[in-house]
Amino acid sequence: MRALFFILTLVIGAAVGLGLTWVTTVSGYGPGLVKAGPWKAWPKAGTENADPYARAALARAGELPLELADGLAFIATTDDAGKALDGRCDMRLSGTVPQARFWTLTVTDARGRLIDNAADRSGFTSTEVVWNRDATIDIPIGPRARAGNWLPTGNRDRIQVTLRLYDTPVGLASRTSDAPAMPRLVTERCP
Amino acid sequence: MKRIVLPILAGLVLDGIVHLVAVLILPYFAEQDAYARLSVVGSVNAVAQIDDPTAFGAVLPSADPAFVAAVCIYDLADGPLKVRVPTTDDYTSISFYTRHGLPFYAINDRSAGRRVIELDLMNAKQKAALPENDEVTAADRLIVESPADEGVVIIRTLVRERGARDEVRARMDAATCGAAT
Repeated sequence: MRALFFILTLVIGAAVGLGLTWVTTVSGYGPGLVKAGPWKAWPKAGTENADPYARAALARAGELPLELADGLAFIATTDDAGKALDGRCDMRLSGTVPQARFWTLTVTDARGRLIDNAADRSGFTSTEVVWNRDATIDIPIGPRARAGNWLPTGNRDRIQVTLRLYDTPVGLASRTSDAPAMPRLVTERCP
Repeated sequence: MKRIVLPILAGLVLDGIVHLVAVLILPYFAEQDAYARLSVVGSVNAVAQIDDPTAFGAVLPSADPAFVAAVCIYDLADGPLKVRVPTTDDYTSISFYTRHGLPFYAINDRSAGRRVIELDLMNAKQKAALPENDEVTAADRLIVESPADEGVVIIRTLVRERGARDEVRARMDAATCGAAT
């Protein structure tokens, strides 16, 4: 009987402990999260002082973080209303982008892989996108071709949008209160 | 019934310990970490181009597809290395990571302030062995101190528009990473 309880203790310990580890490293990069609307960033993960959760999540995924001195990546998996980004819907990204020397915008599937599409386009750089006259951007995202800076989604059900800022003053203070004004992300129409 | 409470409580304490240990050792035991993925692409102390990410995956997940990237896996056991990277009119950056993926230094074309970025990569011992009275070299050279002998250098250049990719890649071919002379 004693041995049974001892084994039970070990099983609970191992199962819950490893389960918790899996949960904390499979989505996101730990507690250093900075949120701005639906946009999430982990500025500290790209520094020498990255916390153990960020390091574990990155190692598990086989990624190298964008160094903060290089740039900062903002990831969105939902729109401003909190609804998951659905590649079958027509969406629109609009507004201002935080100050940076360059930025790139990329649409991927939920696992971060590029989406194959006839237009052979998976994103824009700040130099190739067409800007509005008031220095804002307007980017339709959706399955069907649209006028302007259209980004195709290939009809995937779940997509993710990543905005990477390069050579930017954003995030160097890495305090939550310093989250910059990010572009809006709105779902306009769903079939 | 009472006798089962103790194993459950002890189990909960144990799971906290298991969790903390697992998180802390994960970077050292992950088999498909960035270093392993990059080891397939290139050899030690040489620059190798990384294939562009496609719909079927990428060498490194979450790599920016707007960039052309190259890697130099380094080992400083045989002496310091010199990393030379020609820049473009747009954005070029060089990032340094430890063997286990911890970032420790990054520089871009603007902060380097020259057309060809030249860095001397060495460990603490090799840095201490540098002649101290050589003022000209100290002011003129960018010295990066690696916390360990092994690590990874990632060289990346922005491709401003898709048509320029081949041109940028050709310029990146001139990047070198090898024994300092």
